[in-house]
Amino acid sequence: MTATAIGSDFLHAPLRFFASLRLTVVCLGLGMLLVFLGTLAQVHLGIHAVQARYFQSLLIFWSPPGASWKIPILPGGYLLGTVLLLNLLAAHATRFQFSRKKIGIILLHFGVILLLLGQLLTGLFARETQMRIDEGQTLGYSEAPREVELAVIDASDPKFDQVVAIPERVLARGGTIQNPTLPFTLNIRQFLPNSHLAMRSQESQAPPSMATTGLGTNIVVAEVPRTVKDDERDLSAAFVEVAGVQGSLGTWLVSNAIPDPQSFAINGHTYELVMRQRRFYKQFILTLLHFAHDSYAGTDIPKNFSSRVRLVDFERGENREVLISMNDPLRYRGFTFYQAGFDNNDRTTVLQVVRNPAMLLPYIACGLVALGLVTQFSMHLFGFVKKRSR
Amino acid sequence: MPLSSSHRLLVRLPLLATAFLVCAGCGKSDDAKITVYRIPKETQPAAMPPPAATNEAAPAEVHWTAPSGWEEQPASGFRKGSFLVRGADGKTADVSVISFPEAAGGLLANVNRWRDQLKLAPISNEAEAGKPMAVGGHDMFFVDLVSAQPIGSDGSKSRILGGIFPANGKTWFFKMMGPDQLVESQRAAFQQFLQSVHTSEGASGPMPMTANTGGGNTNAPTPPLIAAAQSVPLQYTLPPGWQEKPLSPMRLASFKATSPNGKEIDVSVVSLPGVAGGDLANVNRWRGQVTLGPIDEDALARTAEHVKANGHDFLVVDLVSDAPIDVQQGKQRILAAILDENERAWFIKMTGEDAAVTAQKSAFTDFLRSLKIP
Repeated sequence: MTATAIGSDFLHAPLRFFASLRLTVVCLGLGMLLVFLGTLAQVHLGIHAVQARYFQSLLIFWSPPGASWKIPILPGGYLLGTVLLLNLLAAHATRFQFSRKKIGIILLHFGVILLLLGQLLTGLFARETQMRIDEGQTLGYSEAPREVELAVIDASDPKFDQVVAIPERVLARGGTIQNPTLPFTLNIRQFLPNSHLAMRSQESQAPPSMATTGLGTNIVVAEVPRTVKDDERDLSAAFVEVAGVQGSLGTWLVSNAIPDPQSFAINGHTYELVMRQRRFYKQFILTLLHFAHDSYAGTDIPKNFSSRVRLVDFERGENREVLISMNDPLRYRGFTFYQAGFDNNDRTTVLQVVRNPAMLLPYIACGLVALGLVTQFSMHLFGFVKKRSR
Repeated sequence: MPLSSSHRLLVRLPLLATAFLVCAGCGKSDDAKITVYRIPKETQPAAMPPPAATNEAAPAEVHWTAPSGWEEQPASGFRKGSFLVRGADGKTADVSVISFPEAAGGLLANVNRWRDQLKLAPISNEAEAGKPMAVGGHDMFFVDLVSAQPIGSDGSKSRILGGIFPANGKTWFFKMMGPDQLVESQRAAFQQFLQSVHTSEGASGPMPMTANTGGGNTNAPTPPLIAAAQSVPLQYTLPPGWQEKPLSPMRLASFKATSPNGKEIDVSVVSLPGVAGGDLANVNRWRGQVTLGPIDEDALARTAEHVKANGHDFLVVDLVSDAPIDVQQGKQRILAAILDENERAWFIKMTGEDAAVTAQKSAFTDFLRSLKIP
């Protein structure tokens, strides 16, 4: 055997593996198992944790109760999707040959490839946030309902706030955080993804607080498991120590249950610390003019929810009223604003703000699959009819 | 099989696979990135036409008027208002207005915080803390403290005059602190300042539309969303025989009722953000108060009732002690309703002697039906 032949065989072995129909069947089978197990797991983990752990992951790990180690037991959604995609591409390279007769199948497969790619891109880049606006209120940001941030605000300027926003993932890592715009370091001494806060006066036996200053000295914090319910929100908390050049200024307790900022002064600047739902500022602002909650006449059965908002975009010179209703979202600058809820005796609207750069891919993919199917069946049909007429 | 195309693909496959796996592994790229940005202060008027006026009630604001001669200082951080008072001898006293959400630790804790500033020992009896006073139809708690020994650098004693004022889910603290003599000379002015405090239907929107006569709180942050639910006063129908009691910082509503046997019962309405520990933990805490052992979720589900009122689903528990808790009180009963709604937990609780609470059971249900949760 020549060296080229060995090299060629060495290269072809993985290609044959990836192109095999057996791999397709195994992947589809595992996919079904994944959907089944993921659905069952929602009971205990909730939909968001299941999405992250089962579908937006490479491997699913299992660890016996109480153990610190874990072993992978199943491929996750991303791994299965990737292998299926490679499988399809490899199959085309090895088995399928381009011919007019196969155009339908090729179109169909291309549609499936786009569908897999679209799902991956959605998982990676789509973001869903919420905007809660009171009637008459103007907001220029949306908030992540399940993620907090620590905002360190330099409030010294009478007109502007300089904000350093530290996302939850950084807080969860703990340790020291430095930012060139801050004349101090933040030491995250403890981060609790979900917690129960109580006034110290009500919990006389509680151990002393890690907080040495601010509201936290009066508050007892206990860690509780993250909520798995769709309609509940975690109350996160963190103990943050601020250290300047002169040494520690104290440890503050911050939590999204403590909405008012806690302030301290350093180098003649006033800084505020506040933990809040993670904000995403937009290049435009929305003012809620009116929220309408229509019921069917004579009943309490809701008929329609709608929000009349004013959209102002200084950059683009946009200033117009928009009506957002249940099946009629506002689409602007890559964001889609859906009417998602209401609150506060119909005086607050809740808009779901979705940004998905890959939004169009599933539509195109389904179109291609449909076109491929119609082409392939029509070709068979016409061939059959032609044969019969002869 | 076209060899050339398969070779091309062979080179690309591992590349493609790596790219995918790397992408999949890293998740949303900006999830772990610290961002820095500059934004106009939330209370600054935005350069846009004001929203159409609505007649509906907006969250109430607290306003005040400063006596003449007080120098207004910029509000910052916690301070919603800040003033400097100068004495004839050049000494100064500081006046601050701050607000905290909810009860801010309770009355006693805050008075003890002030006592600590004057190096006074903490007290445990609320009656010693100060005296209630009526301001603009609201209850305020007036505090007058003087240090036992000189505190200031000039060797003079220090004095604190303070007013604690629960309003719409927040507790407001009005405080003057400075040399004893100076503060004493400003006592009338401070009382006039407290008398000027009033809540009004402030304008809604990103900035307060009504100018603050006393100045100082135009920089105050917009009431946060979680507190907004509370800024609307509670609406309810008072059952016959119930009397409203002064609010404590924790309580949004507080009542007493006297039963035919002369025993007094206490009713409170408290609201906390989140689920406040969860239904079970709270029920078990109450069970502890009537010397009953804790129960589990199943037992709670079996024993608790659901009362539907005004579109809300209240979880109602009725707890009675097995034996008299003390000689005078006899058996104790707690009848309480919990509502978890709009990211807040509401607790409506009636406590008192067993027979007295039982006699008020239907009044309690009527009260729940009349209560409008904001």
